[in-house]
Amino acid sequence: MASEEAPVKAVQVKLVLLGEAAVGKSSLVLRFCSNDFNENTSPTIGAAFLTQKCRLENRIVKFEIWDTAGQERFHSLAPMYYRNAAAAVVVYDITKAASLEKAKAWVKELQRQANPNIVIALVGNKLDLVSDGPAKSVDEPAEATTDAEGDDSTPPPPSTTAQPSSSDSDDLRQVSTAEAETYAKESSLLFFEASAKTGANVSELFTEIAKTIPMESLAPKPAQGAAAAGGRGGRQEQGRGENVQLGEGQQAKKGGCC
Amino acid sequence: MSLPMHLRSYREKSRDEVTREFFNVPTQEAIPGPSDPPAISKIRGPGHREKEGRVMLQSMDINAVLSVEGKEEVYAGRLSLLPPFLCFISLDRRSCRCTLPLYTIRRVERLNSRAGVFALSLATWHGMRIILQLTSLLPTAEHFSILLRDALKAQLPSMKQLKPFLPSLYSEFLITAPTAGHTHAQTDHLLLGTELAEKSQAAAEGEGDLRGPGGHDKGAYERGLGETFGFPGDARKMRERSKMKLWREYFLVHGRNLTLLRYPPFQRLLQVGLPSRLRGELWEVMSGSVYLRFANPKTYSLLLSTNAGKSSQSTDEIEKDLNRSLPEYKAYQTEEGLAKLRRVLVAYSFRNPELGYCQALNIVVAGLLIYMSEDQAFWLLEVLCDRILPGYYSPSMEGTLLDQRVFEAVVGRCLPMIKDHFAEVDVQLSVASLPWFLSLYINSMPLIFAFRIVDCVLAMGVKVLFQIGLAVLKINGEALLEVTDDGMFINLMRTYFSTIGDSAHPNHPDPRVRAITNFQELLVVAFREFNVITDETIQSERKRLRAVISDEIEKFSKRAAVRNLKAVGRFDKDQIGIIYDHYFSAVCSEEAGASANPLKPGDQFDQPRIQVDAQGRVETRIDLRTFKVFLSEIATWAREETVTTNAFIQRTEKKVADHEMIDRLFYSWDKQSQGTLSLQDVVLGLDTVISAGLMESIEWFFNLHDKNKDGYLTKDEVIQLSESLLFIFRNEPGDVYLAAVSKFILNAYEFGDATAPQSSVPSPEDRVPINGEGETASESRHRSNSTAGPHNLPYLNLATFRMVVLADELLEGFFGNDLPASFQLGRMEEEDYHQHHQKPEGILGGLMNLVVTNENKNRLNRLADGFGAALGKHAEWRKPSLNKTIPSSPNLDLGTRESLLVPGQNPGRARSPSGASQNSTASSGHGTPETRSLADVEARYREESEMVRQAQEAILHRPNFAIDAIGDSDGEDEGGEDDTGVMDEVSRRQKTIHDEYELIDIQVEAFLKAHGDDDEGLKGEQKKVAEDLMKAEPMGGGKIKASGSAGSNLVDL
Ligand SMILES: Nc1nc2c(ncn2[C@@H]2O[C@H](COP(=O)(O)OP(=O)(O)OP(=O)(O)O)[C@@H](O)[C@H]2O)c(=O)[nH]1
Ligand SMILES: [Mg+2]
Repeated sequence: MASEEAPVKAVQVKLVLLGEAAVGKSSLVLRFCSNDFNENTSPTIGAAFLTQKCRLENRIVKFEIWDTAGQERFHSLAPMYYRNAAAAVVVYDITKAASLEKAKAWVKELQRQANPNIVIALVGNKLDLVSDGPAKSVDEPAEATTDAEGDDSTPPPPSTTAQPSSSDSDDLRQVSTAEAETYAKESSLLFFEASAKTGANVSELFTEIAKTIPMESLAPKPAQGAAAAGGRGGRQEQGRGENVQLGEGQQAKKGGCC
Repeated sequence: MSLPMHLRSYREKSRDEVTREFFNVPTQEAIPGPSDPPAISKIRGPGHREKEGRVMLQSMDINAVLSVEGKEEVYAGRLSLLPPFLCFISLDRRSCRCTLPLYTIRRVERLNSRAGVFALSLATWHGMRIILQLTSLLPTAEHFSILLRDALKAQLPSMKQLKPFLPSLYSEFLITAPTAGHTHAQTDHLLLGTELAEKSQAAAEGEGDLRGPGGHDKGAYERGLGETFGFPGDARKMRERSKMKLWREYFLVHGRNLTLLRYPPFQRLLQVGLPSRLRGELWEVMSGSVYLRFANPKTYSLLLSTNAGKSSQSTDEIEKDLNRSLPEYKAYQTEEGLAKLRRVLVAYSFRNPELGYCQALNIVVAGLLIYMSEDQAFWLLEVLCDRILPGYYSPSMEGTLLDQRVFEAVVGRCLPMIKDHFAEVDVQLSVASLPWFLSLYINSMPLIFAFRIVDCVLAMGVKVLFQIGLAVLKINGEALLEVTDDGMFINLMRTYFSTIGDSAHPNHPDPRVRAITNFQELLVVAFREFNVITDETIQSERKRLRAVISDEIEKFSKRAAVRNLKAVGRFDKDQIGIIYDHYFSAVCSEEAGASANPLKPGDQFDQPRIQVDAQGRVETRIDLRTFKVFLSEIATWAREETVTTNAFIQRTEKKVADHEMIDRLFYSWDKQSQGTLSLQDVVLGLDTVISAGLMESIEWFFNLHDKNKDGYLTKDEVIQLSESLLFIFRNEPGDVYLAAVSKFILNAYEFGDATAPQSSVPSPEDRVPINGEGETASESRHRSNSTAGPHNLPYLNLATFRMVVLADELLEGFFGNDLPASFQLGRMEEEDYHQHHQKPEGILGGLMNLVVTNENKNRLNRLADGFGAALGKHAEWRKPSLNKTIPSSPNLDLGTRESLLVPGQNPGRARSPSGASQNSTASSGHGTPETRSLADVEARYREESEMVRQAQEAILHRPNFAIDAIGDSDGEDEGGEDDTGVMDEVSRRQKTIHDEYELIDIQVEAFLKAHGDDDEGLKGEQKKVAEDLMKAEPMGGGKIKASGSAGSNLVDL
């Protein structure tokens, strides 16, 4: 461990963002890469690419982020971007129940089709709309109009939790934390609720991913044993991943792997 | 799950369609006549459907020489009559071209000229006089002029609409507005250059300040948001005023808007960027969308009003993206701008519900609306989606995927080093290039430059996207060879585009060279070095790669569809795959009406085949009709297989069977009562029937007929159930099944009376045995109805039904084995996707394959049948559904079944209630091979050769070849064109070097003056003739006045 402390070389990690249109994938990336937020972005066409470094105690991870387009018809392009990805952030919008369904479909696809060691994080975005006062009042009008337009024709969201959770104080929330968290646990995903707008949990999210990635899997030839030890091992939403660090002693690999 | 339907049903374009595409003119079917009701929904699938009562006018090509009064140039080229348009393209395919709607031609005269010269003079609406020498053989020329006359006459009603339409175009305002007189032309450039001058002039003259608001009160022309919110870019830097002046001059000589001719200066004016105010109009004129707007004046507003308040998956998606469409442009920060954008996108999603809305369209339309009105943008959007960028925005985006592949291929050819390097470092071009193509570069580079690329795309077609893409790669070639991963590639491209307005040679001593921007360099490289990329290149690459892409998309959608199934029952992955294949082949089949079923406007809203599920996935659902096709592929009894043998071929024709039982199955599988079935419904439905054991089979069959689901069949339902059995057995040889069903009915009534709930026990007389003497089940039902009590009361429960079934060994065998086994998941043969289940065998089989169209195939079949009948060798019989499985079921034996028959019952030949097998005839020994005498063989040989001849004739008369035949009649041009093609290439090369300077030279006026008149026209003799013709008088006598009205369409031919 001591050997790589001083001349820390960045390890490149390819990360892909997936999720329904307008859940805030690009906004999360913008927050993470430029600590900025923009109400009016462009929808992503095909995919956008950004990089950002993430400094851990013992190494630097350089994320190469592919932010994909959310609309269903761009789906067939997704494999081009998640191919070789070491990590995936699957985003849903906690104010849209259907977006969690879509997220689940992505997880399923990734688990079948993507790199077997891929670290997947499930992220419920737009936390600011439901938790506390200030952000909420700003965005409510815009959200309300879109909802009104959609409500009468869209098939009812499949989620069963939509109704009960909307009864409490955050009326915009359609996906309860418990529901998503349970699902994340079952499927061995990292889980966060975040807000690109306020920045809540955004850097935590990426840091956690950086910690969780089994470094061996990034080498040209993935070492199976170590990967299995660390890979998919992301069940520590609260534990802040002390245990994951274990496998990382051996990662004396050079950076430019992708 | 995306929809591979249009991929499979893709057909290469006909020659007429290719020509129409080249000239940007819609097909005749796409243009409603002035008296037709407005077509609100999209006309799908070009060709095919002819409107009733509408005569399709003939198209024709001819060699011609074109000249215009007041212009020196004379161009030899090809004149195409594509009703209602007359189009011309010079031989070099670039110097001169035009598309004239016939309704803009006021007068056509045949000129009295030298012998052997056939010349027409056209007077256009805008007062231009065009002389056309038809240089093909005289009879051809005469034929052409007759067709032209007919086409012109047909356009008289449209002429009346021209006058009210023209004021919607800015060029009319520019030319005719009283304040924009000739006088300002001189003062213009004197004042140019100072802000003050521009302002004062704007105030004094109609042209207006190009950046500022205003213009509302100036003319009725359609305008974009730019007139209110300002156009992107600095009007002064972009030389808007002088460009506008040049266009004005150009219009005066070469016609404008609908009568615009493209002469060489056009190309140059285009490539320096269109002036903002004129841009919208030129876009619609160059792309041809203006013809659709002209022909469909009410469609856009009707679409909005009829769909007001409706919402759909598309409208939701649009809503999400409204705030994310060029948000940096002021108008899109206001409700006014967003409302316009919403309306155009929503209207189009209802116009073309299959496409709906695709991200990137918001950006494209936001771009269009800066320069165009909603109506204009709407029609341009249609042209973009249909013709310029076909399949780019469809649910499977197959056009995008295909063109990315084509782009890779041309990069491989033109820039092999880059291609090899990228392959080595495993970087895919499309990670960068896909958004270029999808949003026409609008999202990739600063708007003012992107719109100049849009200018060229709309004028010259999709090849421009490729040329620009290639040039971007070429210019960045060295840096690209250093790239080692996707990220570097993307970053490099991003940096390049962000500096595209900078000097390409910042350190050059010559200020003139320093002034050249990266963007100008890009255009020069694109149009000089990559002019080898032509429409033909792209077409042929698309053709080559289409199958690969279709395959990939199908595999992808199949994988996704299978993955997305929530339950798969007892099927394994392969079986699901097979079900999927059958499901989609049914969707694509003609029987299901994939192309044959003309939808009335609005139909697709009521009975959607394609739905969008909660996750936004496009979901294909099948209706009853498609289900029947599907089932006929899977269940043996759901199809009629007629085996025909005649002397030459044996073939099996499959037809979809029809019976209430199939309807019942459909509705019982439709768990959500949607009236359509999803793949999921079908999988679960099949699961219940296909792997059912004896008891399960009995149960679902019972339930199928228990309409109110109360656990009892009524008497009527017992009869219906028997009819279903008879339907399934209809083609089985022998009488055993009929007997079994008869016995079933008897037993059912007997047991039923004993067990039925008290209220529904009938009087004993009601039991009417079917005596089987030609009486069908429905007749007997009818009779029993008339004689006795309640038939709609609960009568027979499942337990009793089971008992009745098990009492009969044949029925037991049927439910235990034959029924489940009658659903067969055989592998589909690939060809079944496309062809029509006909397996030609025998001597003519090979010929059969040559006869491509179904119509001809049928004709040939009839022919063969005819001969077969004459020879007494024609035989037809229905293939039984179940007997294939009976021998393989060991516990069933025909003999024992016979013995179960109730004595004295001797049913006649089965007639299924639906009458479906009435024509089931068997003649001449079921087609057993016969020995033939030598004479037979000889006679047969003779007949055969006659047939071959006839078949060949049939091939020759295929309608598709009709155009070729006409083309051949003036044969010599084919070779000639090739020769000039080579010559042309040489001169083009010389010319482009010339152009390069012009392009770089932003001093637009200068080059226009310098090169005004030196373009490749004809010299010498032909020019002389053309000049003579200018002065020629129209031929006297025989004037045909085509119009009595003020339209003054005079046709003197
Ligand atoms: N209130 C709130 N709004 C957000 C948040 N994140 C994103 N948004 C808004 O949601 C909209 C969509 O955000 P994007 O980041 O463009 O969404 P995306 O997932 O990248 O969408 P696609 O590129 O179309 O797939 C924008 O208007 C954002 O301003 C958030 O955390 N809180
Ligand atoms: Mg995005």
